[in-house]
Amino acid sequence: MGIFSKLFRNESAPADTLVSPAAGRTIDLSEVPDPTFSEGILGQGIAIIPSGDVVYSPCDGTIDLMFDTGHAVNLISDAGAEILIHIGLETVSLKGRHFQTFMNTGDKVRKGDKLIGFERQAIADEGFNTVIPVVICNSEAYDGIMAETGKDVEPGDAIISLKKQGER
Amino acid sequence: MKTFDYTVKDELGIHARPAGLLVKQISGVKSSVTIAVKAKDRSADAKRLMAVMKMAVKQGDVVTVTIEGEDEDIVAPQIEQFFKDNF
Repeated sequence: MGIFSKLFRNESAPADTLVSPAAGRTIDLSEVPDPTFSEGILGQGIAIIPSGDVVYSPCDGTIDLMFDTGHAVNLISDAGAEILIHIGLETVSLKGRHFQTFMNTGDKVRKGDKLIGFERQAIADEGFNTVIPVVICNSEAYDGIMAETGKDVEPGDAIISLKKQGER
Repeated sequence: MKTFDYTVKDELGIHARPAGLLVKQISGVKSSVTIAVKAKDRSADAKRLMAVMKMAVKQGDVVTVTIEGEDEDIVAPQIEQFFKDNF
């Protein structure tokens, strides 16, 4: 087992479970003060109020798009979930400042791989909310998207379970 | 088939939020809607959120929107107006 064995405890989580990409506290997506997320325009999911400065992969999969501004990343899990991780609100306007990407569009990733580093305090100091929505863009493909809200989490803790249509 | 070209004016381009708004706007349309940036040889189904985001449309890009289907005459002007109002 690698260096993440201690950090990522849920090695045995099933494929339709996404783990937290960041340390922090999980909240309901509806509590995010941005209608794009709270009204589910981008899909269902969860959000994390971060206490760390790194975003890790929530699953095994492929980077479908690493935003060149580094403030967001789209992944497609090996099980077919289309996942958007968006670091902070309105942070597109930082145009890459305070973000460092560790992966590129097209890269294969494993659960727990480091994706993006962000200077949480610097982003907050510029007046941005640093909450991290994690959204399932193909929510319509699932009957159930269960989010573990109101929990203190470490990267690697299970936060979303996805039930595919037709599954019990 | 209806088609129009639109040059993106928003300095941040079509990132996550505008992509979401576009897909929401188009989700109820019966016609197929495709967006393309010919200069970059890219196109996407405008009803698929991840595909629209992956286009990474920037300010100054000329987006060609193609609408094809039974309601194309009704929705094409609405979609064009949406681009003018939002992008």
